[in-house]
Amino acid sequence: MDLMMLAERENTLLGQDFLTWLWYKSEIRDGMFELENGERFMLYMEQRMSVQGGDGENVDTATVNSASGDMTEVLYGLRTGKKVTRCQLKMEIDENLWQVQVKAEDFTLSGLKTPKVDMKDEEGDDPDAKFLEKIYLIEKCIALFDCVFKEFITTRISSELWKEEVAKFQSWLREGEK
Amino acid sequence: MPILSASTGITRYRILEDVSDELIREIPERLAKFAFMDIDHTAEERSFGWVNMDDMLDDKWAVSPPEKAQYFTFALRLDTRRIQPAVLKKHFQIALNHELAEAKKEGKNFISRDRKREIKEQVTLKLRARSLPIPAVFDVVWNVPENRLYLAATNTKVMDLFTDHFSDTFELTLEPLTPFFLAMEMLGEEAVQKLESLDPTYFVG
Repeated sequence: MDLMMLAERENTLLGQDFLTWLWYKSEIRDGMFELENGERFMLYMEQRMSVQGGDGENVDTATVNSASGDMTEVLYGLRTGKKVTRCQLKMEIDENLWQVQVKAEDFTLSGLKTPKVDMKDEEGDDPDAKFLEKIYLIEKCIALFDCVFKEFITTRISSELWKEEVAKFQSWLREGEK
Repeated sequence: MPILSASTGITRYRILEDVSDELIREIPERLAKFAFMDIDHTAEERSFGWVNMDDMLDDKWAVSPPEKAQYFTFALRLDTRRIQPAVLKKHFQIALNHELAEAKKEGKNFISRDRKREIKEQVTLKLRARSLPIPAVFDVVWNVPENRLYLAATNTKVMDLFTDHFSDTFELTLEPLTPFFLAMEMLGEEAVQKLESLDPTYFVG
């Protein structure tokens, strides 16, 4: 059975609401987030983003791929009721940098780049050392992503908290118009 | 896709059932049982199965074991024979011409639809036997204590093949950690009804 097909409506709804919220949240917080253990990290959206609106055959998509980070066109899409369906995230802890593209409806991660792992073989090295370092870095990236998703979902599930959050989102969107 | 490459695609899963210690001990054995079978010397269209993540030619884990610290690592190898449509079209035409010439000798002027289909199948098989399968490898990492699996692929067909073959091998069900299932895992089963009854947000006020 194709589990991806199950809960298709919910996946799209939650994924798009999340990425749209994340844009606003990372902007108003200047990208500052915190793990449950207090470790701070930066997370922001940049360079590539797609927004989508409409239903069925009338789906409209706007995609920006801007090296300068100019998101005006997708921001315009947001103001016309579109939501984020794909984006590129950058995450930072100290000097360590991750980059990944996320798809709203299934959270598949593509183009995942972790901080560099030294691939040179040295004598006496544990043969699994490179793999273990790489998987640690991949899981770290996922932990940062899950941390912001958890913050979103606990707000999203409460109708009062979400109402407040959406009101703040709307004033942020209006601010940007001025 | 190798997990160690500079840029990789990842799909995440968790296992729905409890995994017994016995099953964990059986992982290497089950991987070998459902390992990749080579089709280089056959005319098979495709073959898939598990191989060593460190070496796609190693289907017996002779080069290195699948265990790496708390992880089990392996790879899904998928070999496919592809015939270019233009090549098939050409050789089908050659075979048809030959068949028609033979038929004419017997006073017939046409080839039946069934016979045409048969010829096409024969040509396909012949061309397939002459072409080498194209290998593709997708790394898999199973973090046993954390109940997480990472597949280094984001292609739906590969994802389906992986979940089916995993389930045949280990008799376990994989759940993709899509937004809904990830939310359910974070909030608990009791939140399911609430999650299912959410309405889309109108962010424009």
